Amino acid sequence: MTNGFKPGNSVIVAKDLRKRYNEIQAVDGISFEVSPGEVFGMLGPNGAGKTTTIEILEGMREPDSGVALVNGIDVIKNPTQVKRIIGVQLQANAFFDRLTLSELLKLFGTLYGQNIDPIQLLERVGLADRSKSQFIKLSGGQKQRFSIAAALVNKPVVMFLDEPSTGLDPQARRNMWDLIKGLKTDGTTVVLTTHYMEEAEELCDRVAIVDDGRIVALDTPLVLVDRLLETGFRNDRPTRDATLEDVFISITGRALRDE
Amino acid sequence: MRVTYSLTVASLKMYFRNRQAIFFSLFIPLLIMVIFGLLDFDRFSGAEIGIVDQAENDTSRSVIQILSNRSDDLVKVEVGTLQAETERLEDGEIDVMVVIPPGFSDPGGPIKVDATKDERSPQRAALAVTLLAQTLSDLEKQRYSAKVSDDLSNAEDSPSFSNISQSTLLGDDRSYTAFLVPGIVALSIMQLGIFGVVFALLQFRQQGVLRRIRATPVNPAQFLFAQVSTRLSISVMQTLVLLVTGIILFDVAVGNSDIESWLMVIALAIVGGILFVTMGLAISGFARSEEVAAPITNLVSMPMMFLSGVFFPLDALPEVVTSVTQFLPLTYLADAIRAVVTDGAGIAEIRSELAGLAVWTAIVFAAATRVFRWE
Repeated sequence: MTNGFKPGNSVIVAKDLRKRYNEIQAVDGISFEVSPGEVFGMLGPNGAGKTTTIEILEGMREPDSGVALVNGIDVIKNPTQVKRIIGVQLQANAFFDRLTLSELLKLFGTLYGQNIDPIQLLERVGLADRSKSQFIKLSGGQKQRFSIAAALVNKPVVMFLDEPSTGLDPQARRNMWDLIKGLKTDGTTVVLTTHYMEEAEELCDRVAIVDDGRIVALDTPLVLVDRLLETGFRNDRPTRDATLEDVFISITGRALRDE
Repeated sequence: MRVTYSLTVASLKMYFRNRQAIFFSLFIPLLIMVIFGLLDFDRFSGAEIGIVDQAENDTSRSVIQILSNRSDDLVKVEVGTLQAETERLEDGEIDVMVVIPPGFSDPGGPIKVDATKDERSPQRAALAVTLLAQTLSDLEKQRYSAKVSDDLSNAEDSPSFSNISQSTLLGDDRSYTAFLVPGIVALSIMQLGIFGVVFALLQFRQQGVLRRIRATPVNPAQFLFAQVSTRLSISVMQTLVLLVTGIILFDVAVGNSDIESWLMVIALAIVGGILFVTMGLAISGFARSEEVAAPITNLVSMPMMFLSGVFFPLDALPEVVTSVTQFLPLTYLADAIRAVVTDGAGIAEIRSELAGLAVWTAIVFAAATRVFRWE
């Protein structure tokens, strides 16, 4: 298949999901599958239905109809079982704010019935030196990275990241990209939503573009761009080999600034 | 079990790291208790004397009349039987009981009145005795001068009767602080339960912490149970702090000062804590934002604060009001704790209060399960 999807052993199966809130049909027949180790992106304007779709797969919201399987488990019937094997980063990075990072990770370990080494997890997200800081004292980027560490306590099969880089400065965003690439290297399947197209291009094996509760396009970023170009589309911007963000990073460096 | 334990320990850590919360939940009741305790309401009102007139002669009638007709409000006089006045003295309704014996001041009759003071209101009792002595000595002088002008030779025979034999009623400690301290303990259990839970949960919900917990395999009931057990632990700690302060500052005794009385108070702190924490859960489910939660919380707690006999006995209120407020949850809790602390009551003696608390807990629990929301 051209879109790089290998059927048969999908770790995520969404089939004709529908969810209505009062007047609004938030999710209107969404179907897709994600293979193991894939980084799958969901793009779309606010209110398109990305977050609702992800929440259904996370077992936090019940769809009106449709099928949702994660690692072969029916999410609608066994949400708790699914929650055990997934890692979740929500849009709001909310944790008990007066606990230290170590305490929080240990607590989350307990919630999954696991004894974990908080320092090792914090090292993975570059926060080992902040292990004794309270969550409330962290910068925005640190909070976002910590939420990745918290999502990793149960060594998840699938990571759901809802806008993981929103609100981050370019340095912190690149750091987040490295983290997500690291997850992929470890073989973790990742489903993420984002508003940043360059992020989707950089990270995602395939992206689904969602609008009005439906998937309007689904393929690898490259194929989607090629397909647009085939229609004769040309943008007015001259093509350059660097962007303003490259300029910014080359001047200010890649080092994180929120420490 | 381990999950609930970890969540409880985590919440307790958070509580003790939030200095502001400690200040508001722990030190404010302590402050209120100290301020009201030091105000000493005993000093503000005049003395009440109960007179038992067994003489019913001119002298006794004059004594009653003079004391009753004083233009200042320093003393209030009631006349009654020995039995009635003794009861009133024991109940703390009068400060001094004065018994005028049969044949008082008659030739050959007794020349002493008995005054029994209530040790719990020493200032007012002393004032009453002073005024009584003054009255008797004035009467004596009047009679003496009347006799002198009448018949010089008989003046020496006129008996002196301005004698007061004083005794003190040694009763239980029923001072205002003995009333106040158990009331404040009950009040703080309510405040901690309602305010602590409402605002902690609203904050968790607004920040999205509740959603984050819901994304884990933890059973929501475990999380709520941890919240309840956290508040109950704090409630017990606070009760102990308040009682120890009461003992040190105001000489309050906890029941019979034995382990049973302390255990009873701790048990009541837990029973009351469960009721008011559940009430907090119900309010936090009902209120959609902090702006709404604050007025609702006050609307629920304020009437109880002032109408449940925390600061003043319920009989200070009109009967129309008490006919309703006697059924308030805080009234049951305050009455029960007060019965244990001041009278050393056991479970049997506070069974009606416990029944009241149980009924309220059932009502509030039903409400909480209906309205509680995670998001």
